[in-house]
Amino acid sequence: MSSSHLIGVFEDESGLVKAVEEIREKDLKIEEVFTPYPVHEVIHAMGTKSKLQVFAYFYGLFGALAVLAFLYWTSVIDWPINYGGKPFNSFPSFIIITIILTIFIVTVSSLATFSGRAKLWPGKQHKIYDLRATDDKFVIVVSKDKTDPEKLSTIQGIMKAHGAVEIREEEA
Amino acid sequence: MYNREVRGPLIIGDKSFKQISTDILAPTETKPGKWWFAMMTLATLASIWGVYSIYITVSKGIGTWGVNNTVGWGWAIINFVWWIGIGHAGTAFSIFLLILRQKWRTSINRAAEAMTVFAVGCAAIFPALHMGRIWLAFFIFPYPNTRGPLWVNFNSPLFWDFIAITAYLLISFSFWYLGMLPDFATIRDRATSKVRKALYGFFSMGWVGSSRQWLRFESLAFILGGIAAVLVVSVHSIVSTDFAVSVEPGWHTTLFPPYFVVGAIFSGFAMVMTLMIIIRKLYKLGDYVTDGHLDAIARILTFISLIMGTAYLTEIFMAWYSGSEYEMFTFFKNRITGEYALQFWGMIICNALIPQLFWFKKVRSSLLIMLIISLFINLGMWFERFNIVITSLSKDYLPSAWASYTPTWVEVGTYVGTIGIFLAGVLMFFRYIPMIAVSEVKTVKDIGTRKYD
Repeated sequence: MSSSHLIGVFEDESGLVKAVEEIREKDLKIEEVFTPYPVHEVIHAMGTKSKLQVFAYFYGLFGALAVLAFLYWTSVIDWPINYGGKPFNSFPSFIIITIILTIFIVTVSSLATFSGRAKLWPGKQHKIYDLRATDDKFVIVVSKDKTDPEKLSTIQGIMKAHGAVEIREEEA
Repeated sequence: MYNREVRGPLIIGDKSFKQISTDILAPTETKPGKWWFAMMTLATLASIWGVYSIYITVSKGIGTWGVNNTVGWGWAIINFVWWIGIGHAGTAFSIFLLILRQKWRTSINRAAEAMTVFAVGCAAIFPALHMGRIWLAFFIFPYPNTRGPLWVNFNSPLFWDFIAITAYLLISFSFWYLGMLPDFATIRDRATSKVRKALYGFFSMGWVGSSRQWLRFESLAFILGGIAAVLVVSVHSIVSTDFAVSVEPGWHTTLFPPYFVVGAIFSGFAMVMTLMIIIRKLYKLGDYVTDGHLDAIARILTFISLIMGTAYLTEIFMAWYSGSEYEMFTFFKNRITGEYALQFWGMIICNALIPQLFWFKKVRSSLLIMLIISLFINLGMWFERFNIVITSLSKDYLPSAWASYTPTWVEVGTYVGTIGIFLAGVLMFFRYIPMIAVSEVKTVKDIGTRKYD
């Protein structure tokens, strides 16, 4: 599948932020913005939201219940052992394992979710529009196929107005 | 709100982003100096001795150690607690400061987390060896087995320990690795050789720095940070229950969990200071690890040292106040005076007194003195664990069961070996991984000039 893109390269954060905000205000679609470090205004303007924290909460809830159920089952139902006459369901001392294993479960499942949602895994093939985006340049990528030529020139104008040092088109 | 006029910049000099990457990535992109190879040789020799000692322990048994029926926990447990304590600061440092949004962490967190991972790895060796028959170590996993199924004792602090350390190792490693993804991508995209590109490309897992990735990256960092903060406090509390849940005089106290957690953070911060001074000096990264950074660590150490001193006094007070003759004996006859007085006073001097020198501005601005004090703290923390483990065990309730303890060369060798392994790990870290989080340092370049800092 061939696709072509309009790529705007910025030197600093402030120009990038203004350009992204203006493009988004005009309801024009940006495919993706690449930055060497997280720029919160850009993340905000792009409008993507992360539900990772909500997921993590439910992983934790599920994990805690699962661990408690497992401890109860092993210690009370499956093979109860009398430790000095103490109750089989020694709940207070189960809490420690529950906390630690809940943390363990939240970590592993959040990592898995992150890997899936952010599309990061070992050996993944990735598309790089500009090699300098992980170093010192801020890059806006707009899809040419999905945008009208008229709107494309507006975007180009905005990029130029906010000090893009390089605007180029790329066919791939 | 970061007031730049009061607190100064976090990076010295008006550097471009390119300059920051170049400065910090230089050690990974150039050949290391002669000192690196010399240290690596030393570390390898130490590790070889360690591996040989471990071989002797495993093939001949725990009888090759100096432990006996009375003092059943020797250097192995001392070193285990010592290493895990050092391993605490990386996460404590990185995560508490992340949650409190203290931006000065950015220059130090990577090295602190690296130290954590290696130290916890070293720590895990000791309880594994102490099991005696290490080839049956898998018995500790609660899996459905053909022995009943007989489950492990979920009320045992030793089992809690196993779970806590496993979880801690995994989480501190994940947090460390997560932070490295963007930096690996930077190395990958700067690389000129094919091998480098492929290798760092593999480890960067396809990081491109898109806004969607950054959004999720930060979400995950806060999730891991939030839960790992709980873990930092709980892991060393659990290690302390190994002692506190028993009825040994000197161990059976509610003071132990906070005392252990604070002690762990203390030794770990000292190790962070040692490492940062070395990194700053040998790699000339003084613009990133500024006097201000080291000054901040020194202030924290002073404060924690005061807490440690208070804890020591509290222990002694409670021994007297409890009215228990065994507690009295343990503290006054066995620790303060007696066979192990050297370790007791070593602990007091190194942990509670020497760090108080940091009150002086002159001390806080001399790299050499700071390095020496940080090493003293770790020595003192080793004494503290010796003090706890050996004095209580050697003379408890029954005088007929009293015994002394001296380590054999096998125990010493295992300890030296773990230091070697730790050193080798740190040296590899210096060589192949950016020592300072490049992407995070870029965010604090102009700190205090923007409205949301």
